[in-house]
Amino acid sequence: MWKYLYPLFKKDCQMMVSGKFFLMSLGFLVFYTLYVNFGYTKFMDAQLYHVYLYDPSGTQATVSPLVQRVSSKEALGTILLQDTNGVGIDASAGAPMLVFYKGAENADRHRAAYAFSLLQPPGNHKAELIGPNTPEQKARKEITCELLFFEITAVGFLGIAAVLFKEKGMGVIRIHAILPFRKNLFILSKLAIFLLSDLLFAILLTVLNVGLPDAGPILPAVLLQTGVLSLIMALAGLSCALLLKDFRQFTLAYLLIAIFAATPVFLSANTAVKLDWIHFHPFYHIYMGLKNAYFGTPVNSPAYYLGCLAAMAVLFTGAQWVFRREMGKEG
Amino acid sequence: MIEAKDLTFSYGKGKQALQGLYFNVEDGEIFGFLGPNGSGKSTAQKILTGILKGHGGKVSLFGQDISSAHTQAFFQKIGVLFEFPYLYANLSAVDNLKYFSSFYPKEQLRGIDEVLGELEFKPDFLNKPVASYSKGMRQRASMARALISNPRLLFLDEPTSGLDPSGTVLFRKIIEKERKKGTTIFLTTHNMLDADLLCDRVAFLSNGNIMALDTPKNLKEQNSSHRVVIDYLYQGKREEKTVDAPELKAGIPFAHDRIISIHSQEPTLEEMFIKYTGRGLS
Repeated sequence: MWKYLYPLFKKDCQMMVSGKFFLMSLGFLVFYTLYVNFGYTKFMDAQLYHVYLYDPSGTQATVSPLVQRVSSKEALGTILLQDTNGVGIDASAGAPMLVFYKGAENADRHRAAYAFSLLQPPGNHKAELIGPNTPEQKARKEITCELLFFEITAVGFLGIAAVLFKEKGMGVIRIHAILPFRKNLFILSKLAIFLLSDLLFAILLTVLNVGLPDAGPILPAVLLQTGVLSLIMALAGLSCALLLKDFRQFTLAYLLIAIFAATPVFLSANTAVKLDWIHFHPFYHIYMGLKNAYFGTPVNSPAYYLGCLAAMAVLFTGAQWVFRREMGKEG
Repeated sequence: MIEAKDLTFSYGKGKQALQGLYFNVEDGEIFGFLGPNGSGKSTAQKILTGILKGHGGKVSLFGQDISSAHTQAFFQKIGVLFEFPYLYANLSAVDNLKYFSSFYPKEQLRGIDEVLGELEFKPDFLNKPVASYSKGMRQRASMARALISNPRLLFLDEPTSGLDPSGTVLFRKIIEKERKKGTTIFLTTHNMLDADLLCDRVAFLSNGNIMALDTPKNLKEQNSSHRVVIDYLYQGKREEKTVDAPELKAGIPFAHDRIISIHSQEPTLEEMFIKYTGRGLS
C-alpha cells in the first residue's frame, strides 16, 4: 500500500505547491500571528478607565481608592481633556453627575456603570477563579482557537477543492481508473496531505500565539480536535468538488457550508446570542471540542468520538462514490 | 484474449447503451470497434477496462470472467489511450511518465527516453510543462503513458486524433510494431483509414448493436461489384471502360494501344459502414 501511496502523495504535494497552497497557508499564518500579537492582545489589554471625583462637600461616603479626587470643576475639565477615556463625577450639587470628554453611547454606559460602582460600599464580591490563565493567555487561546477553526473550515476546505478542480479539469482522474492500485488510495493520499498540513498549521499557530510553554501541554488535545475537523472538512470538500460541475457551483455550496458551519457556531460560542438548537449543530460540538482542548479540558465523551467517526465513514463512502462516478465520465 | 457474449448495458430507464454484443478478440489481434458518437463503443471499452460496472451478459478477459478480472494484476497487463490526452498540465512529459509508471512493477517498464524517442518527441519539450504542448505533443505523451508499462492488451481510443499526417503515419507504425510484439489491440475509432490499414477485424457498431463483424477485406469484397474501370489510349484518344473482373482472365477484352490505369470498383470501408448501419460516422 505504501508503495502506491508514496507517488500519489508526492504528486499531490506537487499539485499543492504549484497551486501555491502552502504559500497561501504560510501567508495566513503570518497574518494571523501579526493580528494576535500586535492587534488583538493589545486591544484586549485595555487599561481600566480612570474615574475622577469632584466632591467639595464630601457627599460621597464610600469612595473606592481607585477614584482620584480633584479640587475644582476646572481641574476636572482639564484632566478629562488629557485623559479622554476617563470618567468624571461631579458631586458638587449633592447627587453625582457624570462628565465625559466624548464617546459612543454603549461605551459610555459601560463607563458610567463602572464609575458609579466605585461609589458603592465594598461588598463581598470576590470573583471565583475558574482557571490558571491570565486574561492575556485566555484572550490568546480564544482567538487562536477561532482562527484555527476558521482556517480549517474555510481556507483548507477551499484548498482541497482547488486541487481537485484542477485535476478534474485536466481529466487525469479518469486515468487513475486504469492504474494498478486500490482506488481509495487516491482519496487517502489527499486526506493525508491535508491532515498533515492542517496539523502543522495548528502546531505553528498555537506555538506562535499561545507561546511554547503554554502550548506544550495542550497541543496533543488540540491536534486531536484539529485532526477530527480537518478530516471532516477535507472529505466534505473532496465530495463537493467531485460532485459539483465547476468552481462557480462550488463557491455557492461553500458559501452555504460556511454560513451553516461557522456563523451560528461563532455567534453561539462567542457572543451573547443564544440559539436553543445549537446543541444539534455538529460543528458546535467540534468547535467546543477544540476550544476545550485549548483550555486544558479535552472532550472525553465516547459518543462525541463515535459521532465523528460515523460522520467520517459516511463522508468517505460518499467521496468514494463520487470519485468512481468521476472516473467513469465521458471526456 | 477478450470474449463477450450478449453484453448489455443501460445508463438507466430507456437509456440502453449496449443491446447484446457478441464478439471475441484473439491474442495478438488488432480489433477495430467502429461507430459514430453514441453508438456504444466507449461504453463497451469502459466495461472492458473495469471503469463501468453493472453490465449484463458474459465477458471474459485473459480467460477470466470480467467480474473477477479487474484486479491489480489485470491493470498491470493493460494500457489505455483515452480519446483526450489527459495529463498533468503542470508537470512535464517526463514527470508525468515517472508518476504514472510508478504504479507498475519496475521489471515490466520500458525506459522513458526509449518510449518518448520512439514517438519522436521533441527533446526541447521533455522537461517543459505539458501546458505548453501542442495537441499533437500531448497525444504523443499520452501514447507514451499507455505504452510505458509494456501492456499485453492495449485499448486505443481515437489514437491518431489531433496528429498531423507525419504523426499519424508514425502512430500507425507504432501500432503495427506493437502487434508484431504480440500485443492485442482494441482500437476504437471514427477513422476508417486507420481501421482499414491497421485492423485484422472490425465490428460496425450502431445504436448499441454490432451490425457487421469481419476483416476489412472481406467486408469490402462481399459488397464489391467485381468491376474494374480501365483508362486507356486507343488511336491517340483517351478512353475509359468498365468491365467485369472475371472478363480480365483472358486479358484486356478490347482493343487498346496503352493501358493508363486500372481501378477496382471495390467499396470503401466507410461505404460499407453506411450500408450496414444506415448512417455515417460523423
